[in-house]
Amino acid sequence: MAVIRDMMPAFELFQPATVEDAAALLREHGEQAWVMAGGLDSFDWFKDRVKRPSVVVDLGGVDALKGIESTADGLEIGAMTPLTDVVRHPDIRERYGLLQQAAELVASPQIRNQGTIGGNNSQDTRCWYYRDGWTCYRADGNICYADTPTSMNREHAIFGADRCVAVNPSDTAPALVALDAQMVVQTAGGERLMDAADYFIGPSIDITRMTILEPGDLLTAIRIPSTWAGATFYFEKVRDRQVWDFPLVNVATALRVSGSTIEDARVAVNGVAPYPMRLTAVEDALRGGSRDEATAERAGDLAVRGARALRHNGYKIPLMRNLVKRSIRAEA
Amino acid sequence: MADIEITEAADPGVSRRNFIKGVIAAGAAVGSANYMFRGAGSMFAQATTPGAVERLITITVNGQQRRVDIMRQETLATTLRYKLGLTGTKIGCDRSECGACTVLIDEVPHYACSILTHSVRGRSVRTIEGLAAEDGTLHPVQQAVVSEQGFQCAFCMSGYVMAAVGYLQDNPNPTRADLAHGLSGNLCRCADYNKILNTMEQAAENMRQA
Amino acid sequence: MNFLTWGTDPWGQEVLIRISWDLLYVASVLGILFVGAHAVWLAFFVQEEAEAVDEAALAGVPEKVARHSLASRVFHWVMAAAMLALLLTGFLPVIGIQFPWVTIHWVAGVVLTLSVIYHTIHATFWLGLSAMLVGPKDISDAVSRFKRSIGQDAPAPRKHGKYPLENRLYHHAITLTGGLVIVTGILMMFRIDTPLWARDPYIFTDPTWGMIYVVHGLSAVSLVTLVIAHIYFGIRPEKRWITWSMVWGWIDRRHYVEHHDPEQWAARSEGSSGQR
Ligand SMILES: Cc1cc2nc3c(=O)[nH]c(=O)nc-3n(C[C@H](O)[C@H](O)[C@H](O)COP(=O)(O)OP(=O)(O)OC[C@H]3O[C@@H](n4cnc5c(N)ncnc54)[C@H](O)[C@@H]3O)c2cc1C
Ligand code: HEM
Ligand code: FES
Ligand code: FES
Repeated sequence: MAVIRDMMPAFELFQPATVEDAAALLREHGEQAWVMAGGLDSFDWFKDRVKRPSVVVDLGGVDALKGIESTADGLEIGAMTPLTDVVRHPDIRERYGLLQQAAELVASPQIRNQGTIGGNNSQDTRCWYYRDGWTCYRADGNICYADTPTSMNREHAIFGADRCVAVNPSDTAPALVALDAQMVVQTAGGERLMDAADYFIGPSIDITRMTILEPGDLLTAIRIPSTWAGATFYFEKVRDRQVWDFPLVNVATALRVSGSTIEDARVAVNGVAPYPMRLTAVEDALRGGSRDEATAERAGDLAVRGARALRHNGYKIPLMRNLVKRSIRAEA
Repeated sequence: MADIEITEAADPGVSRRNFIKGVIAAGAAVGSANYMFRGAGSMFAQATTPGAVERLITITVNGQQRRVDIMRQETLATTLRYKLGLTGTKIGCDRSECGACTVLIDEVPHYACSILTHSVRGRSVRTIEGLAAEDGTLHPVQQAVVSEQGFQCAFCMSGYVMAAVGYLQDNPNPTRADLAHGLSGNLCRCADYNKILNTMEQAAENMRQA
Repeated sequence: MNFLTWGTDPWGQEVLIRISWDLLYVASVLGILFVGAHAVWLAFFVQEEAEAVDEAALAGVPEKVARHSLASRVFHWVMAAAMLALLLTGFLPVIGIQFPWVTIHWVAGVVLTLSVIYHTIHATFWLGLSAMLVGPKDISDAVSRFKRSIGQDAPAPRKHGKYPLENRLYHHAITLTGGLVIVTGILMMFRIDTPLWARDPYIFTDPTWGMIYVVHGLSAVSLVTLVIAHIYFGIRPEKRWITWSMVWGWIDRRHYVEHHDPEQWAARSEGSSGQR
């Protein structure tokens, strides 16, 4: 929505230097406050005057949230680490290539230079009805404009919809889910650690949020255990243009293969549901199977079981089936 | 050295440095108490809230310290073009979707339309105006633009040049495909991408030779 | 405090979305205030009028007086369960307890609707509606009863029919709010996806939908107040025999004679045919 207006509407800006100060500011300003990381999702909302927080808390100055560290069991990535740093980090490249591939496919180079891994996983949906500022369910209204007899819903959900049919647009989210990553969240009650899969929530639970974060909460870090280090990875993203565009469907697969036997697997898909979807049924079916065409075929079929297409997004079902299939098929 | 050790031994809780800081802070508190009692309560509150920002700030642009009066919500592109007169930076979409506004922040390409000016305090900004040498010698990338005549209307040009400078500094030996990927955050409405890539291959060559 | 919640439609116009959830708090507080006020009133201001039970009258009355047929009781508790489920699924998310509520909500809504349809038919053709009517005599009785309860002089009122006036008025309030919440709720099932029919939010215009949501919300919060009051009366010690009658189906002879007027409600023995 490229309506150029003079300026963003005014807000009060805070640039705290520590997590504690940031948390205190968020507590003080409650629902009025907006957490800003790289700002690449945030500015669109502000410029379009759809979200108008009176206070913006910019985490850009909180150095403690930046950087990637090795831990006893893997890696800890600060929430404010730019995607480019994730892509370039040698350890991520070598041992967690799934995340590196996913991050490299996000948006454009400039966006990756500024957009953060925390922001990428906390970003709001791209449903344009919602982004245009209409009062749909997600904006606390009582209608889903994307699921009516006349809606344009080519990009919307085939799974997990509940009244709202918007999807999670993140590329890195399914990679984190597939790597069994954990999210470290700072809440008023202290620090909480949760599986990446539990960080994302669907509209059946709260129709106005994409993540478990409540006003005042902060995502501080993402931990990647060594469980999948050096596994066989596959990431593929299908989009309309090869740059900037969000995934129509993406797939992140991690396989532990010994000989031709799949010992364990993680398969996660995004762009098809309001949250990155881990395909546990597919994983169960893969475990112990041999990595061949028949297994891949079966995985693909299993992946789309229960999918429900809207008027214009039926293509997502074969697309998702084939992506899952490709992600398991042995690479020549 | 010795007396620092004694201080720390005497009171492990307060290092000398923190003690000095404390004295300064106490002084500041006494000083600002004047403001408070003069009734400027809200000013006082703002000055002490951690993370509060000021209107008048200094930013480093093209190696110069520039003092500017900016709004909280002001983007860098606005400040550069309308406060500092650096109109070489273009605004195309104002939505991080075209790259016309690309500038270097600490030598990394960013969309100036999508970063707050407040976020570049303490960092160094380079725009197309800051590329040529003092004596007017063009930057190798600029030279390639001239020699290859890479652009048509050239609205996208300064963004492309800045993106290329940032990219080539990190990747001096790109293939054509690498260049296409590295510069994929910029759009050209006249859409002669082949010619732009020719230009940037030449630019890489120029930079390697410079 | 707000009464209504507004939003913006695709044409940039203000459109009604629903009531403001502030009203939920108002309704809850009203319910609690009513309960508190009533309890205080009974405890401190009402002078108990010991109703002498005519021992002779007991003789002609069966030991267990049938009050609610099994069908009526089953209906009541199914409806109560559905209502409670609807209240919880409707309002817990509003007060911040998030869970996937919509499916449980509409299924409970359908259960409530079916049970109410059943009840309406049963009551109209088998029970008869007369037990629920309110006439002028009921009003004058109520006035006398009130005056006497605060120690003033008034002619002795008749005893109750099958249902005391308060019960009948309460039932009418529930009929109204419940009816509205059901009618709007069924329409709202066009906004969500159910196996019953295709989702189509455009069967009405946005302002009409706004009104439907407002009516659903208003009736729903009114039901909060009404249900608080209902549960309160259900568990008050001196009313417990009425509550138990909704479980076992009968009241004992003493209560019958003490409170009810045989002319308005003739006693039948529990277990006899023609029990209602
Ligand atoms: C033109 C364009 C194209 C894009 N294409 C893609 C794409 O192809 N794939 C893709 O995955 N993404 C894409 N994006 C999204 C982009 O990657 C994200 O917007 C970016 O990563 C978000 O990071 P940020 O740091 O800029 O987030 P911000 O805008 O700063 O934050 C995003 C949201 O997350 C919240 N948030 C951020 N950090 C925290 C934290 N630490 N704690 C709590 N809350 C937090 C903010 O409150 C905000 O609501 C695109 C964006 C644009 C503008
Ligand atoms: C005690 C009775 C009921 C209560 C307290 C109640 C309460 C609520 C509340 C609070 C909402 C949220 C409304 C909003 O977001 O504005 C709601 C929505 C809804 N109700 Fe009910 N309701 C009741 C009965 C029913 C019945 C009988 C039905 C259907 C037969 C029904 C169907 C629905 C539907 C489909 C929605 C979802 C609408 C949407 O999300 O757009 N409700 N209800
Ligand atoms: S103007 Fe900044 S990217 Fe288009
Ligand atoms: S040369 Fe005209 S927009 Fe690129």
